[in-house]
Amino acid sequence: MNASTIYLALFLYFFVGSIIARYARKKMGKGVNDFFLAGRTLGGIVAALTYSATTYSAFMLIGLAGFTYIGGVGALGFELIYLSGLVLVAFFGPRFWLAGKRYNYLTPTELLGDRYQSKAVAAVAAVAAVIFLIPYSAVQLIGIGALVEGISGGAVPFMAGVFIAAVIAVYWTWTGGLRAVAWTDSLQGAVMLIVATVSVFFIVYRGFGGFNQMFAQLEAQYPAWLTVPGPGFFNIHAFIGLTLPWFFFSLSNPQVSQRLFMPRSLNQMRIMVMGFLVFGFIYTLVSIFWGFSARLLLPDLEVADAATPALLGLDMVPQVVALLVMLGISAAAVSTVNSIILTLSSMITRDVFKNLGGKADEHRELLIGRIFVPLFTAVILFFATLRLDLIATLSVASSSGLLVMVPALIGAFFWKKGTAAAVLASVLVGGTMATVFLYTGVYPLGLWPGVWSGIVSTVLFIGVSLFTRAPEHKAEEFIGYIQQELNDKKII
Amino acid sequence: MSMKQLRIFWTVLFAFMILAAFIVPFTPLLGDFASFYGAFLFWNVFAIIVIICLGLITAKWRDFDER
Repeated sequence: MNASTIYLALFLYFFVGSIIARYARKKMGKGVNDFFLAGRTLGGIVAALTYSATTYSAFMLIGLAGFTYIGGVGALGFELIYLSGLVLVAFFGPRFWLAGKRYNYLTPTELLGDRYQSKAVAAVAAVAAVIFLIPYSAVQLIGIGALVEGISGGAVPFMAGVFIAAVIAVYWTWTGGLRAVAWTDSLQGAVMLIVATVSVFFIVYRGFGGFNQMFAQLEAQYPAWLTVPGPGFFNIHAFIGLTLPWFFFSLSNPQVSQRLFMPRSLNQMRIMVMGFLVFGFIYTLVSIFWGFSARLLLPDLEVADAATPALLGLDMVPQVVALLVMLGISAAAVSTVNSIILTLSSMITRDVFKNLGGKADEHRELLIGRIFVPLFTAVILFFATLRLDLIATLSVASSSGLLVMVPALIGAFFWKKGTAAAVLASVLVGGTMATVFLYTGVYPLGLWPGVWSGIVSTVLFIGVSLFTRAPEHKAEEFIGYIQQELNDKKII
Repeated sequence: MSMKQLRIFWTVLFAFMILAAFIVPFTPLLGDFASFYGAFLFWNVFAIIVIICLGLITAKWRDFDER
């Protein structure tokens, strides 16, 4: 595909999204709640699409398709167990939403800080999120850079793709805050799903004659790919190590859990959750079919992540379809990155700057929050230029690190004896351990970093809580209020 | 069922289903069954059951409209 076609497509995508972002700006009210949470007024459909577009990144059609290519059906189990992690939202969604409205929380880390009555808890959790989410975001930009470079045969340089994606993400976010992010996410989410689904039908029917035939070929030529551990990639340790952190994604990742504050009612949150589940189920199957198709059509690829770009290069895929898929994957990446940038900006402003004694004036807080939008984009851009390898591994690594927030979040709503010291110990030790194990490649007892960080942070949270003093009054009031509200409305 | 019993019921049910999603495809029952009707179908059915259960749970989320 020639460079000018790709540049034109990216420009049109930027142009359409910018019109939406400008319109969102007109609708934007004043204040931090409006900029970062769209004033807690999102409708269910927009909430579902932004939740989906934020959750599903370039990882799906590149990383997950790659996992399927090398590991087979285990990739499906990994991703559908992640999807089933939405059972956590069944329990925590209404609790987050009620707490957010009553205490006017802007960020999940602010909730932690207030519930455990510790500014240090909010600040440390916010900084931990920054540390783990910046590489994850950089990987999204790398994905776009590699994709445009791949399908243009090098005519569009890697750095051009990375830079264009960063400009798009920062411009939309800066222009209209969360409302612009949510509305552009809605468009991008719809594009991602429709384009990927249409193209997979194209490939499966043109390549094999239909889904039955594709499975018949898999059973005949690659039977191991229909079992686990199958070809070996998804041995039980790897499967648990990859899947466990992702199961808790809806709680552990603040760019997602912050979205539990945003629907205008619990009824709209219901639409968000159910809409996301349907979106996620379809998008997962599509990504898996991409991987299976590549396995049968392109059996000799050396790099698993190349499966999708290589499929797009086949003659059976018309150029216009390939171009649309490229845009769909770019949209998946941009919609994840801009949500992360906005969430990190809100966390640093509210949980670090304000807690360090910054003036509480809302105008000033909003200004600082907005300044962090381009700052974080610049940092993410810098990381992307380092061009680290293997999208899938880094994406999962961030979830292993963020998993350490989960015991504290569960404790906030369900355990009155949890303490600030315990949160700090679990986040600091668990997070450090995940990072060290990941970078040294040391997997004690064969368990992956995400499993260790989950075990250690849970043990520390419970253990340290038993020996330190809990904020009893706050715990009683916070948990008591939420339980009362939920019981009144017969919500579990 | 009281709210407490309902919470316990759903927690136990989900824990059982999720453990099954980790374990069953790795057992000899499905581990050697190289077919669409093996692990592929199992995980799809698992996901659909989870979605239906969440539909049932969230059906109660309707009395909070604020506007």
